[in-house]
Amino acid sequence: MRIKKWLSFSPDSLSLNGETLGVVGGGVEMLHELYRRKVGDYPKFFKMDMLGKLGFVASELLLQSEDAPRFVPREDRSVVFCNRSASLVADRRYQETISDADNYYPSPALFVYTLPNIVTGEIAIRNKYYGETSFVVLEKFDPEQIAMHVAAAFQDPVCQSQLVGWTECSDESHWQCLMLLVEREGELDRHGLAATLERMFTSL
Amino acid sequence: MKELIEELKVKIIEALNLEEVRPEDIDENASLFGDGLGLDSIDALELIVMMERNYGIKLKDPAQGKEIFKSITVMADYIQKNRTK
Repeated sequence: MRIKKWLSFSPDSLSLNGETLGVVGGGVEMLHELYRRKVGDYPKFFKMDMLGKLGFVASELLLQSEDAPRFVPREDRSVVFCNRSASLVADRRYQETISDADNYYPSPALFVYTLPNIVTGEIAIRNKYYGETSFVVLEKFDPEQIAMHVAAAFQDPVCQSQLVGWTECSDESHWQCLMLLVEREGELDRHGLAATLERMFTSL
Repeated sequence: MKELIEELKVKIIEALNLEEVRPEDIDENASLFGDGLGLDSIDALELIVMMERNYGIKLKDPAQGKEIFKSITVMADYIQKNRTK
């Protein structure tokens, strides 16, 4: 395996392929600002939950840096994301719409985001990726486990590259995001990938 | 009626998170779905909830939405005739 491109993103810093990028504002507004400045052609972004916005913006920045045509249908790329809090931010917001019996109006638009794997689907749809998409909820950041899921996805001979993400957000002001474009051919084995993930996570 | 149309534009933008749309951008006679505002099936459900919450209208058959949500003008006309609050 080989890491072709990488991004690390927290509320305090954003780094793309080792280069620090400027961020403005805080919380979800930071994601909105990045969307407006770097993407801007996908109004559905504003309907997404926090996890969706985080994954979408991170994937856009990462994929824009890849020297390859975008939005061309392909089956050889998978999307494999993990986190700890699943869709907790959306779950809480949805809960607010159903917690008061006198004001009981369950929001369909919030409900659809009460599954964490919606973000991988959003990214696959946006980029016309027809490979595997999966979202794994882990007890904590576990690089060996993540690397194992990446290696498992490469068991499919069609899969030549993967968008791999740790997209954790516990509320609208706190998130950790690592995103990597990993190619099948390269010098890293599963443990090498895990060690690299560990180093990246430590510097988040 | 004009006032209700303007109110609906604001409420729809808010309910559907149409962040980059301003009320004056919405043509009240244009289709809400498809080529108009480009809304989808989840938005339709959200509009049903919005009508119940704000105007006390409970659609018995969600399929009615197809007719009611043709445009803001059609929607306003339906609300005016059926609202309970």
